Amino acid sequence: MGKTTYKRLKGSQSFRQRLLLSTLSSTPIIIDEIRADDMIPGLLRHEMSLLRLFDTVSDDCVVEVNETGTRLKYKPGIIMGGKNLVHNCALTRSMGYYLEPLLLLGLFGKKPLSIRLRGVTDDPKDPSVDTFRNASLHILKRFGVPSEGLDLKIEARGVAPEGGGEVLLTVPNVQTLTAVQWVEEGMVKRIRGWTFSARVSSDFEHSMRFAARGIFNNLLPDVHIFNDHKSGPQAGKSPGYGITLVAETIEGCYISADTTVSCGRTDETGEVDEEKQERKPAEDTGVEIASWLLQEIEKGGVVDSTHQGLLFILCALCQQDVSKVRVGPLSPYGVETLRNLKEFLGVTFSFRPDPSTATVVLTCVGSGLVNLSRKLS
Amino acid sequence: MAADDLMSSQKSHRMRKSGPTMRKKSEIDKKKRGVADNKQPNPRAFSVRSVVKAKRLKIRAVEKEQRRIHLPTADRTYGEPPPFVVVVQGPPGVGKSLVIKSLVKHFTHQNVPEVRGPITIVQGKKKRIQFVECPNDINGMIDCAKVADLAILLIDGSYGFEMETFEFLNIMQVHGFPKVMGVLTHLDKFKDVKKLRKTKQRLKHRFWTEIYNGAKLFYLSGLIHGKYSQREVLNLSRFISVIKFHPLSWRTSHPYVLADRLEDVTPPEKVQMDKKCDRNITLYGYLRGCNLKKGMKVHIAGVGDYSLAGVTALPDPCPLPSAAKKKGLRDREKLFYAPMSGIGDLLYDKDAVYININDHLVQYSKTDEENGEPANKGRGKDVGEDLVKSLQNTKYSVDEKLEKTFINLFGKKTSASSERKLEADAQSSPEGSDAESSEESQSDDDVDDHEMDVDSNDGKIKEKTELRGGRLRRKAIFKDEVDDSDEDGDDDDDDDEEAEGAESDGNEDEDGEDESVSDSQDSDEDDVEESEDKVLGNISKWKEPLKEKGRKKNPNLMHIVYGASASSATALINENNEISDDEDFFKPKGEHSKNLGGGLDAGHVNSEDCSKFVNYGNLKNWKEKEVCEDIRDRFTTGDWSKAALRNKNSVAGDEGEDDELYGDFEDLETGEKHNDHENMESGTNEDVEAAERRLKKLALRAKFDAQSDKSELEDEDNDNGDGINPRNSEAKEPGFVDKLKEELEIRKQMNLLELNDLDEDTRIEIEGFRTGTYLRLEIHNVPYEMVDFFDPCHPVLIGGIGFGEDSAGYMQARLKKHRWHKKVLKTRDPIIVSIGWRRYQTIPVYAIEDRNGRHRMLKYTPEHMHCLAMFWGPLVPPNTGFVAFQNLSSNQTGFRITATSVVLEYNHQTHIAKKIKLVGHPCKIKKNTAFIKDMFTSDLEIARFEGSSVRTVSGIRGQVKKAGKNMLDNNAQEGIARCTFEDQIKMSDIVFLRAWTPVEVPQFYNPLTTALQPRDKIWTGMKTFRELRSEHNIPIPVNKDSLYKPIERKTKKFNPLVIPKKLQAELPFASKPKNKPARKRPDLDARRAVVMEPEERKAHAVVQHYKLMHKVKVTKKKAKEQEKRKAYEAEKAKKEVISKKRNREGRRERYRTEDKQKKKMKRGQD
Repeated sequence: MGKTTYKRLKGSQSFRQRLLLSTLSSTPIIIDEIRADDMIPGLLRHEMSLLRLFDTVSDDCVVEVNETGTRLKYKPGIIMGGKNLVHNCALTRSMGYYLEPLLLLGLFGKKPLSIRLRGVTDDPKDPSVDTFRNASLHILKRFGVPSEGLDLKIEARGVAPEGGGEVLLTVPNVQTLTAVQWVEEGMVKRIRGWTFSARVSSDFEHSMRFAARGIFNNLLPDVHIFNDHKSGPQAGKSPGYGITLVAETIEGCYISADTTVSCGRTDETGEVDEEKQERKPAEDTGVEIASWLLQEIEKGGVVDSTHQGLLFILCALCQQDVSKVRVGPLSPYGVETLRNLKEFLGVTFSFRPDPSTATVVLTCVGSGLVNLSRKLS
Repeated sequence: MAADDLMSSQKSHRMRKSGPTMRKKSEIDKKKRGVADNKQPNPRAFSVRSVVKAKRLKIRAVEKEQRRIHLPTADRTYGEPPPFVVVVQGPPGVGKSLVIKSLVKHFTHQNVPEVRGPITIVQGKKKRIQFVECPNDINGMIDCAKVADLAILLIDGSYGFEMETFEFLNIMQVHGFPKVMGVLTHLDKFKDVKKLRKTKQRLKHRFWTEIYNGAKLFYLSGLIHGKYSQREVLNLSRFISVIKFHPLSWRTSHPYVLADRLEDVTPPEKVQMDKKCDRNITLYGYLRGCNLKKGMKVHIAGVGDYSLAGVTALPDPCPLPSAAKKKGLRDREKLFYAPMSGIGDLLYDKDAVYININDHLVQYSKTDEENGEPANKGRGKDVGEDLVKSLQNTKYSVDEKLEKTFINLFGKKTSASSERKLEADAQSSPEGSDAESSEESQSDDDVDDHEMDVDSNDGKIKEKTELRGGRLRRKAIFKDEVDDSDEDGDDDDDDDEEAEGAESDGNEDEDGEDESVSDSQDSDEDDVEESEDKVLGNISKWKEPLKEKGRKKNPNLMHIVYGASASSATALINENNEISDDEDFFKPKGEHSKNLGGGLDAGHVNSEDCSKFVNYGNLKNWKEKEVCEDIRDRFTTGDWSKAALRNKNSVAGDEGEDDELYGDFEDLETGEKHNDHENMESGTNEDVEAAERRLKKLALRAKFDAQSDKSELEDEDNDNGDGINPRNSEAKEPGFVDKLKEELEIRKQMNLLELNDLDEDTRIEIEGFRTGTYLRLEIHNVPYEMVDFFDPCHPVLIGGIGFGEDSAGYMQARLKKHRWHKKVLKTRDPIIVSIGWRRYQTIPVYAIEDRNGRHRMLKYTPEHMHCLAMFWGPLVPPNTGFVAFQNLSSNQTGFRITATSVVLEYNHQTHIAKKIKLVGHPCKIKKNTAFIKDMFTSDLEIARFEGSSVRTVSGIRGQVKKAGKNMLDNNAQEGIARCTFEDQIKMSDIVFLRAWTPVEVPQFYNPLTTALQPRDKIWTGMKTFRELRSEHNIPIPVNKDSLYKPIERKTKKFNPLVIPKKLQAELPFASKPKNKPARKRPDLDARRAVVMEPEERKAHAVVQHYKLMHKVKVTKKKAKEQEKRKAYEAEKAKKEVISKKRNREGRRERYRTEDKQKKKMKRGQD
């Protein structure tokens, strides 16, 4: 017992999930060769920030990184949760990057989690905070997470490169999650959207809304896109605007699509991200994202491709019952998740492709993870 | 006279009208007639008078009822339950083995010479039990208590209860209380019937107080020819068989195996090289508790934690009889299995069968041949014998011979096993022969297929081989198989077309532009093949092995997703290539898009971690109406019926899907319905709602079954229950609990439905090994002592470890010293705890929670109260009970269990504090500031206490300011603190600082390795202080100041209060000092002589005379009284003597007459 046996992993891929699952299953890990051959070797800024976030939320976790940052030794502690926590996220990734593991971590904490995150709220790479608020949290509720205490409050927007946004995440803690049978997608009954603009004219929002609604005109009348124009300290430090669309079906599925337009952030090498360099006009952004949402709907499944990972992890964390979910074509991230789940929790999914709808039905038996750190009264 | 007598004696039989027998009879009679006996002596006396009282009674009844209700637990054991463990426990020499032997004999008609290890027997058509004899030491008792489903406590009736029984009961209570039954033995030692009855009653009541009122205590009256009487054993067995077991929370959440066999499978060379090398062992036993997954870690009780090197499910050595309807068990089915007792002669291993033959029975025919040749010669050689002997003479084994032959009919891929092997080898030999051969076989297949196309009704053998070859091909196909199944399943052509259309759409969508032409070609081919299959479907001879094989080899999404992760990144790429080369179909739907994404290859170890996967490149133009029409039905504005159809189709596809996955056999399967698949198959054409309804029905039925069992129990309860009106329970409407139960049942049925869909291998992969399977666990690198000192009489418990339970941390527990343990427990004295599966020694720190939430350290546990205990060890989930010992030796008198406890939470930090009181003295005082010395030893220490409050004995409060180094005139002394007070203090004051200091809990944890030493040796771990002191003769250190001394108080002398004369004069009289000191010289009055007048003198003299007279009178009277008293005493004594004498006389007279009477009677008898 005195010696801890570490699970050895390689590379920086699915770093978040590895940390998350390692913490949940309390298996210490060593990750080697993290970008060993890259120009910028080792852990990136957001990854270090994530480690720090894990340290904030949990108690007595041991993180050792070697000098070049290419080797990480992580021994998970006990997830504490708690109130009045603050974390400054690195600006290289947006809040979505941190929120994805944090949501699940918070569920299995000793105390309900309430944490204030500061940094970039939206960027095109990660799901926006609006998506979390309006789609991801609904997925959690399906698994028996109580809706009181589950909230994400956007206090200030902030886009890349300077950030300055602030959100307040509160997650209740649960004993166990309940398994779901979630194969009915249902029909889309309404589409809701949220646009925001920070440090730019609200005209951008108008044009985005207008363009997006134009796409849906053929399909659905119940489309409403809210706007959220921020100015002053609430608008963060950089100019930008963005849109999030969520389609809600009659079976309670939430399909989301979002994007953000802002100035490109410079890489550590000093280069500007190439995708960011050309900025599309607001109309095009609106059209694009609305089309993407329709594409997601067309793909089918009870969640969109972005949330596949979250869904699979939730299924795997359930009690030892059978969960059955339908998703569209497996996304690379989803596949990664499935592999990680097998590695850490030993949960294997069985797949049943459904060719008539081009979807896959996944079945698994939950790992029966119980929130052990919750105190017995 | 005789006749008369007869006549008179022929009285009619008189029924008994009273007495217990009659009462019982009448009751039975009434029950039979259905007459409720509501007659009460005085109904009015018991009627409700007060409304309030009635209400209270009602509330109480309801409360009682609620207390009975438990939160229902989900039962996740599917399939055949493992044999129930019946642990037979008792103090040494009470007859444990004999009871087991008798029971085994009763159940199986077999004699067990020796009870070693678990004995499994088939007890009934649906029930197996496993007898385990509990060893006599406490370690064995602990392990037994953890696995027991039913504990039979043997009690020596002639001796009474022994401590072992109570210790065992306590251990069981802590680790979840299994069912308990007491059995009294040695009752034939009683000669006196009355005494026997009294003893039985006494023991029964004692037993009841320990467990619950009405706990079953069974009596085995005695031995007949060294065995218990058959009738009593039969009764005991009936009691055992009717007991129902309820799940215990720890066990239902952890898998465990009670090993009934242990083999050392270390390579013999290795053992020969080094006798003390680490061994590889295999353990066999039924899996209990919950499902066991492959990667799980296990704890072997008394050895340590190990990861399982291999798990294999073996065929059940003691299977239940087939479910055919018949009454009772056939003799053939009365199986029993006791490998360690040395009875089962046949052992089935994973890949071998062992036959145990006694040495004297072994006769090798080879030696026979040499020696016994002449004997056989007479008869001439038998052909069979010849064959056998020629076999014995072979030089090469069959394998070697086979290898030399070159005929290779099926391209190396003939058997499933070799196939699997190759698959496994695929990693080591990338591509290589595997790919080659598969290609070969595929080309073969194609040819064969065409052949089949031509003559589909050809000879069977040909087809067989073809299909065997073709199997490889088929395994991968699932998309087209769906087509097939669709064709089969849907009767309407329209539907079919639609589905196909949708499907092709889907394909296009997923695969985008990447969809290749070859794909479609392939699919066409496969279509053809499918249809052939259908034609050939009724050929059933070979379907079984094929089915098995085919199921194993179906590569699907699962293989693509998980196969890759198992191998290295390069292997993944290879596999991808291979797949794309061979079968373009079987990519996961994301795979294509992944490749499209460019640079987001999942195999790349440093790929970016991003959940969002957007590719705006190939967005459709959704502005166009036609494009929108495709997904029109996904919106509420679309056609609802079509949308419903989509779901329906998909569900139908779902159902057909499993056919499709193993679609090759679909047509075959219809011929023979498997039990598992019955549900599924009947439901193929139904829609979701119907399925749901069916599910609910199943659940309801299961619930009803459960309830009917329960209701019986409830009836019993009511019979026993005091004052609970049976109407109450009847009027109970389906409440929260029932709803919960129903939900659980529905969930269970759903799980079953889903799991039954899967084939065996996938099912094991997904849910792990099911409970009740007989497992072979391989464990590597176990210390050699485990094998050397292995004692089959001690149970070998292998328990699974849950997530996070193998890491150590601090645990906080609510602990109570056991009321029978004589001493209190001391903080930091090591205790041995049994917690979860483990037993280990740890050092606890006891504490109690103060009202402000602080955990204050306690030096000793409270006598009769709970306290908190913080200790370090491998974590267990909260709510796990544990039991503590200080000494494990068996020869210890008294009660060995020191404390019982339950874990509350765990932490990585401890928050225990103890009080600290620093004492200091002022060394310099300046007005309200004082310099305090002796309180701290260094300035560093002062820095830590800056700002903390201090106070003097006289109650003057103050505060520590800073180290007062330079304040004192260059008297640089460490540890002088400057403090300020609310008032000036005195040099004689003592200053206290009261604070709390955190207490460290030692990180000590020492697992008990009792299985690694001879079992009779007592395990010794860390010793307590007391033990060490007594060993080394070290006296207890005594602080002199703490000793009690007689209190000496000097009486204080106060100086007289001096009030100035002037003041005195002004005081009012009441306040003036009046207690004047005594004069040294008598005052004037006293010194003055008194000369009396003659009259006065006379009077005085008279008074004196009278006084004298009175005095004399009194003395005289007293003397007289004394005399009188004396006389009276003497008289009394005399009287007493006389009365005594008289009494004696009387007694003597009485005895004499009695004696006479007795003698007379004796004489009369004689």
